[in-house]
Amino acid sequence: MNNISLRLDKLKIEKKLGFMTHVVVGYPDLAGTEKLVLMMDKLGIDFIELQIPFSDPLADGPTIMKACEDSLRSGTKVKDAFDLARKLSPKISAPLLFMAYYNTVFKYGTEKFCKDAKASGIYGLIVPDMPIEENQSEGFFEACEKNGLIHIHVISPASNKKRLLINKKVARGFIYVTARQGITDAKKGLDPKITQYLKEVKSVFDIPLAVGFGISSRERVNMIKEYADIAVVGSAVLDIINENPKDYLKKVESFLEELKK
Amino acid sequence: MPSGHFGKFGGRFVPEMLIPALEELEVAYESSKKDPEFKKEFLDLLKNFCGRPTPLVFAKNLTEKLGGAKIYLKNEGLNHTGAHKITHCIGQGLLAKRMGKKRIIAETGAGQHGLACATVAAKFGMECVVYMGETDIARQRPNVFWMEQLGAKVVPVEYGNKTLKDAVNAALKDWIENVSDSYYLLGSVVGPHPYPTMTRDFQKIVGEEIQNQLKGAEKKLPDYVVACVGGGSNAMGAFNNFLPLKQVRLIGVEAGGRGTKKGDNAVRFKGGSVGVVEGFKSYFLQDEDGQVMNTHSVSAGLDYAGIGPELAFLKEEGRIEFESVTDKEALDAFKTLASFEGIIPALESAHAMAYALKLAPKLSKKEVIVVNLSGRGDKDLFIVAEAFKDKNFYSFLKDFLKNE
Ligand SMILES: Cc1ncc(COP(=O)(O)O)c(C=O)c1O
Repeated sequence: MNNISLRLDKLKIEKKLGFMTHVVVGYPDLAGTEKLVLMMDKLGIDFIELQIPFSDPLADGPTIMKACEDSLRSGTKVKDAFDLARKLSPKISAPLLFMAYYNTVFKYGTEKFCKDAKASGIYGLIVPDMPIEENQSEGFFEACEKNGLIHIHVISPASNKKRLLINKKVARGFIYVTARQGITDAKKGLDPKITQYLKEVKSVFDIPLAVGFGISSRERVNMIKEYADIAVVGSAVLDIINENPKDYLKKVESFLEELKK
Repeated sequence: MPSGHFGKFGGRFVPEMLIPALEELEVAYESSKKDPEFKKEFLDLLKNFCGRPTPLVFAKNLTEKLGGAKIYLKNEGLNHTGAHKITHCIGQGLLAKRMGKKRIIAETGAGQHGLACATVAAKFGMECVVYMGETDIARQRPNVFWMEQLGAKVVPVEYGNKTLKDAVNAALKDWIENVSDSYYLLGSVVGPHPYPTMTRDFQKIVGEEIQNQLKGAEKKLPDYVVACVGGGSNAMGAFNNFLPLKQVRLIGVEAGGRGTKKGDNAVRFKGGSVGVVEGFKSYFLQDEDGQVMNTHSVSAGLDYAGIGPELAFLKEEGRIEFESVTDKEALDAFKTLASFEGIIPALESAHAMAYALKLAPKLSKKEVIVVNLSGRGDKDLFIVAEAFKDKNFYSFLKDFLKNE
């Protein structure tokens, strides 16, 4: 069984809110990404997203965009993400996921990307610009499933009932729900109608809900926890790295400890 | 083939959060196509606001000088705001109005599309925000100034290589955040479905006019139609009508920039490969990891790493041929056209002209080349003055600064 599913079962039995964190491969540098992941795993984070930097990250806000740009400027290659996953996966218990834009997958070769990801210890893929309608000609979901990877789907407050139902048909593992209509940005607030929206999503999906975008404090975790199974912390961690280039590891650690309390 | 695909190209590769907005747009567009009132208003504005039809003029002096094919110039530069871009902006602006949107978002490279958007927004009483790369702002200040005079807000884009593709990214992000009240007025035949189809449909009037006008002048079809290709809107506009007429050869001209080195040009059909960027599948200049590369052209409007998906399809089908000309050849053609025919072209359009100058002498006197001059050169004043190192222009600027 896929380790994502095992971890989801465990959270369900323990009735605990899960946490998923996010790092950009090669930011602040490759060694730093490695240390961050090891630290997050030690804190008991349940899922860790490794974002493969891309030159044109459509769904990302200024924080992640800058991290991607910095990483690419210092020479990070797609191969580095696979190497890092291979190095980390035997050492940690949290399942790793790749977050990537479709061009990265497509250019690598969709089938080969999935095969190599699996071989490197990756359990799931989040590819936000690969919508269901395009899968017909791309065969991306099939390539994931063939290689034992879970493809995670992302929905937002703009997703109407029709879209929710379309997503429900193909979604696996958990559904990633953005708490705001917009791009990733920890500094922006949550949608004021967040609980009502999460309630609706929850009534549609049978799989757990991971809620992200703007989760940057204990208070915001509390706002979503009644309806969320997993809280996703992305840009907030990168903001800390950005603002504390020297002692970011310690700062990120205490931030996550506080969130998880 | 599902709608929005041209062979294996095109599509709608966007985050789920944009799908409902694109579906809404597609539905509105399809219904507008069936509405005679919409078409009437569109054509009325093209005629009375933009000045269509634009003339097709015989380039007598150049034809005689080159001694080959007859050269005709489709002068799209005589459109209101100086380029073909106003045509699809009017079309999409009417659509925005029909959809009840109050705010227009746009990206711009040369500033020509932004200027057209700002114009349409002013005419239709809408708010307008234009994203523009910092590099482009630096080289196209006159258009920034005019956009601001028209009441638009021009937002500099400070990331990536700070040109057109980054402006597209910024505009899409704004749209993601403001889908309910905003209309994203994309400026070329690129982006997710339905933009490539819709923009082509609004622009196709150019090719229809060419066919009619040439029938009057020469009683025949053109043998060649030549257009420059950034994203591809002026080219698709000029070509679309001739696609089924196989005897008409269609030639797209890309920006050869400073030369063939990586990053020195915007020639997608030599240096590029298939990828999925900014919501569509097509040819892009990218590295082996799929990272979009820097491009260069003396003309901001051609300085773009991607190309419209339908053009990629028609290239693979062999229906459209692609050539490229360098910065220098374009600047030379600019001079030639100005001095022989009394037309100052946009630097983008000068690329199409440059290729026609090479082609004409190789053809017989019976053949006809139509060059689509997508815009006029006013916006390129500073770039051309710099390229030609015009001393008097520099001293004018120095004096101008004294008046600050
Ligand atoms: C005058 C002119 N021609 C051509 C272009 C290139 O765009 P497209 O290839 O979409 O016609 C531009 C773009 O700004 C332009 O301003």
